[in-house]
Amino acid sequence: MASMFSSSKFSDSLTVVGVSLCSAVICEAISWILIYRTSSYKSLRSSIDKASRKLESMKTTTDSLKLTTKKSKTKKMDRVETSLKESSRDLFFFKFKSGAVVAIVLIVVFGLLNSLFEGKPVAKLPFTPIWIVKSMSHRGLQGSDLTDCSMAFLYFLCSISIRTNLQKFLGFAPPRGAANPGLFPMPDQKTS
Amino acid sequence: KSSMKESKSSFKQQQNNDQVSPFTYSKLFDPEADWDKDQLGDVLHWIRQLVGLFCGLFCGAVPLVGGIWVLGFLAISSGIIYGYYSLILKVDEEDFGGHGALLQEGLFASLTLFLLCWILGYSLAHF
Repeated sequence: MASMFSSSKFSDSLTVVGVSLCSAVICEAISWILIYRTSSYKSLRSSIDKASRKLESMKTTTDSLKLTTKKSKTKKMDRVETSLKESSRDLFFFKFKSGAVVAIVLIVVFGLLNSLFEGKPVAKLPFTPIWIVKSMSHRGLQGSDLTDCSMAFLYFLCSISIRTNLQKFLGFAPPRGAANPGLFPMPDQKTS
Repeated sequence: KSSMKESKSSFKQQQNNDQVSPFTYSKLFDPEADWDKDQLGDVLHWIRQLVGLFCGLFCGAVPLVGGIWVLGFLAISSGIIYGYYSLILKVDEEDFGGHGALLQEGLFASLTLFLLCWILGYSLAHF
């Protein structure tokens, strides 16, 4: 079976998958060293988990309360929500700084693969891609056969699927309660 | 009736937050088991990934050709997830953020995994 795959016209796709898998492992190792093992990350993560659980339980009990108790409960919920947003923002910026190193590794790996497979289809698509996908799936390829798959698209699929599941498996996935505040977070209307 | 359902739901949520049993494989098919949001979300995520893996390899091996199978995969995997949490686990989706929150667990990652397996299987087995 192995010889069947290696003699296939598109055996280069296995090289792309293999390189993507190795780079995902290296990136997670770098992230662990720079981010996940630090006490700052652990405390931020813990505070986000606690705040989101507290907010959930407060939301479910608020509906059945009297009006005066409801008002004070709503104020408490706003405070917890603000604290959750602040912790999420701190976590975002903390990961952002260290993520620059991971980004450099990914750019280098992509550049290496691009130099190896530029202009060469590495796989065949079993469907005709729509216009959004076409620009990536047919990137740098000659000819009009849109089912030829470039390294960029295959690498993109590998990156998303392998890295997401690897992070999930290792327990490095972002906490569910954390909202992504973006680079320019708006001030909280309720506390101003 | 609705206020009774709300108070039952809030009591169950409080219970969920305070004392949820740790994950064991026996919980996977137990409608009486207690789940918290993270545990259930993780289980649904991994079920979606397995469905994506098997569907992708199957579609690549046969082979099934055409973009319609992407929609087919989305429908099948969402149907499996919905059937699992509503018919087998019998959870109240309101306790976990509604149908949307449960159905989107692992959706994008499973779609990319399905596409990857489908493309690899098709390319390696038929060319």
